Amino acid sequence: MGLDVGKFMKNPEYELKITTYRDIFQVEAQERDRFGKDYEKLSACIVMSKNDLAKMGLKSGDRVKVTNNYGSIVVEVKESKRDEPGGVAFMVNSPWSNVLVSDETGGKGIPEFKNITAKISLVKEEITTFESLMESFRKCL
Amino acid sequence: MVTVMELYQLLPKTNCKICGESTCMAFSVALLGRKKNISDCTPILEENFKKQKEKLESLLLPSAGAGETGMIVHPEICTGCGNCVVACPVDVANDPRGAAIGCAPTNDKVIFRVIDGKVVASNIKECRRFGKNKVLCYACIDPCPTGAIEFV
Amino acid sequence: MATCPGCALLCDDIEVIVENNMIKETKNACRRGAARIKGCINRLAPSIAQKPSDLESAIRKAAEILRNAKSPMLFGWSNSTCEAQAKGIQLAKKLGAVIDDTSSFCQGLLIEKFLQKKFRTCTLEEVRNNADILVYWGSDAQDSEPRHLSRFSYFPRGESRQRGYEEDRIAIAIDVRESNTAKICKGHFYRIQPKGDREFILALIDALSGKVPAYEPKKILELASILKKAEFGVIFAGIGLTYSIKDDFDILVLLADKIPNFHIMPMVGHYNMRGFNENLFRETGFVNRVKFDGKVVHDNKYSIVEAFQEKSIDALLIVGSDPLSSLPRSLIRHLTSIPVICIDPCVTMTSKIAAVTIPCAASGIESAGTAIRMDGKIIELSKIIGSDYLADEELLTRLMGAL
Repeated sequence: MGLDVGKFMKNPEYELKITTYRDIFQVEAQERDRFGKDYEKLSACIVMSKNDLAKMGLKSGDRVKVTNNYGSIVVEVKESKRDEPGGVAFMVNSPWSNVLVSDETGGKGIPEFKNITAKISLVKEEITTFESLMESFRKCL
Repeated sequence: MVTVMELYQLLPKTNCKICGESTCMAFSVALLGRKKNISDCTPILEENFKKQKEKLESLLLPSAGAGETGMIVHPEICTGCGNCVVACPVDVANDPRGAAIGCAPTNDKVIFRVIDGKVVASNIKECRRFGKNKVLCYACIDPCPTGAIEFV
Repeated sequence: MATCPGCALLCDDIEVIVENNMIKETKNACRRGAARIKGCINRLAPSIAQKPSDLESAIRKAAEILRNAKSPMLFGWSNSTCEAQAKGIQLAKKLGAVIDDTSSFCQGLLIEKFLQKKFRTCTLEEVRNNADILVYWGSDAQDSEPRHLSRFSYFPRGESRQRGYEEDRIAIAIDVRESNTAKICKGHFYRIQPKGDREFILALIDALSGKVPAYEPKKILELASILKKAEFGVIFAGIGLTYSIKDDFDILVLLADKIPNFHIMPMVGHYNMRGFNENLFRETGFVNRVKFDGKVVHDNKYSIVEAFQEKSIDALLIVGSDPLSSLPRSLIRHLTSIPVICIDPCVTMTSKIAAVTIPCAASGIESAGTAIRMDGKIIELSKIIGSDYLADEELLTRLMGAL
């Protein structure tokens, strides 16, 4: 008995530094079908160190909302296969990570693809699909 | 993949030489290379080593289906980079003007080739882990960025 | 033998088995290359205003859009042959247009320094034959140029490196992430913080000058002592490094001065990005971000990113690129209702919103030509299979004719 307090509490939010990288399996999927499920699955994820996952109470397979001033996406959490010290999370370069990239370039023409700051929290929502990204583009245009 | 040390830790470590090897460590190497069977170590068949024996059997089980050299290629995680093609000492010896210098293999005597973006192993009897004078070579495993080749 | 247009390594030792004009099997190409050679499943079709059309009408409509535009931009080019790129530059001149390519937000700044001969550099064959110390800096070659280590740098035996990687070569990775390349360089992986490259270079320069570096002295001194021993060292500069130090390449020149036996080489992803840079450089003295305005004007505001920021273009022709996918969404917002023309073999995110789409042959697979490898060597591309699609070069010729 008692009130399910958790129901009314927002999941905790953590600030996170994200850098983007290239993944050959994702590039392969893009070459074949950039609108396909394989490409979506290999793009809509965030790789985090064991330390950071423990700190934030997350595990592989969880869905998280990653949000900053530029946008918000829901992606799947993956634990890094390497022994990472933590502090930096990794997202493969894709239209998903590009939602979070700043438009401030200091007039120099190169966006900060590799130095993203965002907030992350556990959610139950579905992973951001390609269709919903495309829809958000159409609204921008 | 199971290592020599893991096997060694489960042996009686008495260096009794009953198995024909000079030390328990040598016996572990022989076990991993499938030159010897667990039953060659008679002390471990005794009741007080029952748990260790079962553990050894379970560790060595995956190798049952893995061909004579124990090589398993996982094409689904291979990037097709060809590091193994060029690093394999057999490929270097058999194709000095092709695989050895980083080019595409020029003959069919090589062990590793990349087909449709993934590695395929053939001529497996040429592998240094095969046959009477086999050696515990790691030349194709170490250069693999994704762990797509293993020996069991 | 065919050449793989999968990345700027342009591997020219690829065997392709073709049956009934279909690609059945590739040999020697990596996973990335094999995927490129086998092609995409969504081929682009000609369209006007999102409605199917015939090719001729689409070309006429594209010409009309470009003719009516006051300040059009021609963008893309890194997936085109040198011949198509030359046509693109001609078209830009004729239109008085802005021309920019994907190197604008990739390795362009760095490649410009090479073409201006600011760095000592070398060819990949020289790397294979001579290199003993290899430094992958902000570059995960294993995933982006997958055969880099096996064809040229670390694993092969070379003329003066007969014992290959086992004894004759050391591979080092400097990166924010323990990439697949870093895994190969085990024991020689130096992890840095995002944007930490500058600090790392300064510390390394200190160590090479006999000073104790302020930052991770033990590791930096160890690295400096390895670099000093090089007979023929190479730094492979990836976009991790370029993005981090931005336009401050003098610091890299300073480092190069401290290690006279080292060469620097840019790592390039798209197969002919360097080709475009060299073609435009020869023509204008700049590698990208150029406006033909009676004369050649080069300015950062002619980069696709700043043009989107400033909404300074009123029509956009894209050849072989997908900016909607590869640029930040925050910038795409600024791409208001200007007409976009896409020339591409495949449907892309950008083609889905384009006013005109014009399909082309997949270059290096369905059409031949030349391209420039990441180290500057010219490589022939082969036509592997026949197709009814026209090469982008031919389409640009027709487009120019229709103006």
